[in-house]
Amino acid sequence: MATRISFRYLLKRVLVSVVVIWALLTILFLLLKAMPGDITTRLLNPNIKPADLQNLREQYGLDEPLWVQYLKWVRNYMVLDFGYSLRSPTPVIDLIIERLPRTLVLFTTAYLLNLTIGTLAGIEFGWKRGSVEDRTGFMGGLTLYSIPYFWLAWLLLLVFSYQQFGLTWFPPGKMTPSFESAFSSVELFTGVLWHLVLPVVSLSAVGWAGYMLVMRTSMQETLGEEYIQTARAKGLSPTAVKYKHAARNAMIPVTTQAIVGIAFLIDGSVIVETVFSWPGIGALLVQSILNRNFPVALAAFFMLGVLIVSLRLVTDIVYTYLDPRIKFGENQ
Amino acid sequence: MSSQTEGSEGSILQRYRRRHAGTYRSIGRGWERFKTHRIGVVGLGIFLAIVAMAVFAPFLSPHTLAWRAPSGGAASSLSDLASSTTSHPAPPQFGDPYFAPLGTDHRGADVLTRLVYGSRTALYIGLAAGLLSSLVGIPLGLISGFYGDTWIDEAIQRVVDIMYGLPFLPLVIVLVALRGTTTTNIILAIAVTSWLNNCIVIRGETLSLKERSYIEAAQVAGASDLRIVFRHILPQVLPLGFVYLAQDAAFAILTQASLAFLGLADSTAISWGIMLQWVQVTGNVYNALWWMIPPGLMITLLAAAFYFVGYSLEDVTNPQANP
Repeated sequence: MATRISFRYLLKRVLVSVVVIWALLTILFLLLKAMPGDITTRLLNPNIKPADLQNLREQYGLDEPLWVQYLKWVRNYMVLDFGYSLRSPTPVIDLIIERLPRTLVLFTTAYLLNLTIGTLAGIEFGWKRGSVEDRTGFMGGLTLYSIPYFWLAWLLLLVFSYQQFGLTWFPPGKMTPSFESAFSSVELFTGVLWHLVLPVVSLSAVGWAGYMLVMRTSMQETLGEEYIQTARAKGLSPTAVKYKHAARNAMIPVTTQAIVGIAFLIDGSVIVETVFSWPGIGALLVQSILNRNFPVALAAFFMLGVLIVSLRLVTDIVYTYLDPRIKFGENQ
Repeated sequence: MSSQTEGSEGSILQRYRRRHAGTYRSIGRGWERFKTHRIGVVGLGIFLAIVAMAVFAPFLSPHTLAWRAPSGGAASSLSDLASSTTSHPAPPQFGDPYFAPLGTDHRGADVLTRLVYGSRTALYIGLAAGLLSSLVGIPLGLISGFYGDTWIDEAIQRVVDIMYGLPFLPLVIVLVALRGTTTTNIILAIAVTSWLNNCIVIRGETLSLKERSYIEAAQVAGASDLRIVFRHILPQVLPLGFVYLAQDAAFAILTQASLAFLGLADSTAISWGIMLQWVQVTGNVYNALWWMIPPGLMITLLAAAFYFVGYSLEDVTNPQANP
């Protein structure tokens, strides 16, 4: 085979992703319909004239049978037509497009950092299992893993951004030059980077432990294998045994964790975006939920779902491509 | 044998003990293994301390929940009244004019008292969400594993696949926002989304157990599927269930804190997350540290305790992991 990934495998993964997105849409629709009343009773002045109300319901398509509403809902979402925000006459899609890259920048930076630090730490702790480093690192990692994101962010802001400790190294969120202008000059670009530091630190300080835990256990298991003894007996240097023989083989469970970890990190970035006023999709979701701006909230939720599904697809394919041991879907 | 005749004549308690001697021994062995993980013992210690805190809350807290700190002497004039509203939150006071070792919050309530009582909500949320996830995840995992490679397994696994693709916290946010921000709704929303890990792991374990010869023996002896699953497989996977119960509990506590921070939890509840929400709402994050630090610390401690116990248990139940 020229390429390692067969067309069938690719098709299967894409199909699964589409089904997930469809399920997401259906759940959203059901949730919306399970709400008492509908959008008109929730949002309008109760003194509205019955005729106007009827017009509005027709305009929103609320008088049609449920299945027609459902089909329209699915069709609209599939073509990214999310309707209009209730707070301003902007189409929701514009808000989403504006914010998507910002979320991606924050997410990708933290994700790669987590994966790198977590895996390296896992190799180290697994290699020296039972040592003081291992036990301290394991306990420290688990403790960091237990800190609520927003509380850690507050502590970081307290120490590094406000005057209490005499340090004002990093800005407390609230980017004044807009994110997009960052690409117009070097100065503005470093400005954005500066704003990125604390959010990324909050996400990574908590998140790296997830990968460390998996890598550490996997490394310990691998070190008990016979081929490691063989490698040692051949007289290979400890470094070669550790990285080339043990770590590379111990990486498989980390790939699974890397896929599961995407959703976990999205959770974190919703919180962290809110703390640091990072104007991404997570912050948009929270803000619009609190404002009862449901068209925007549901669209933001949907986009986060799509983001997770596509990132999972990409990670899955990349790993399958990189790792010859993963079988790809011919016969499991 | 003499012991057997004694057994039949002994009291019910003795007979019960003898019948379950094997179980006691294996629990004893598990405990010996667990004790070698210092981190697990530390976690168990913290957990028990917080349980004690919840049980004996009325005796441990310096005030009742209704207590409010007097605000700077008798309010004899309007200006006194005005200044008194600005005197809370107040830093720690030890006896003069009142006793509040961790200071007061914006309404003059004692932070320590709220902290002690908050342990009840935290334990309730953690254990209830953990138990619910196990009650959904373990049976589904057992069924899925026992009927591995049939349409039942396939159906359950597809549902799990789809649910794994959903954004967890956003889904909980939407669920809670639409259904109301009561503690029960929060627990349900967390459980709806967190049974997946339990299900997958239990399924994997069941798949491998199913191939053991003692299961085959039971099948040949004519045991029903139900009996095999509950009598022969369930006891084997239960320890693993506890591992995930502990992890789910930790995760639930952290999720509740996040929801509280976002303003999506019952703001009248007495919980650590809600305390932090009030710190934020009243704009005191960076100037009332006596109020902001302790609840976060308690959340971290309890979540860490659950994780410590959970990961040590995992080692106990999986001897291969530590040769």
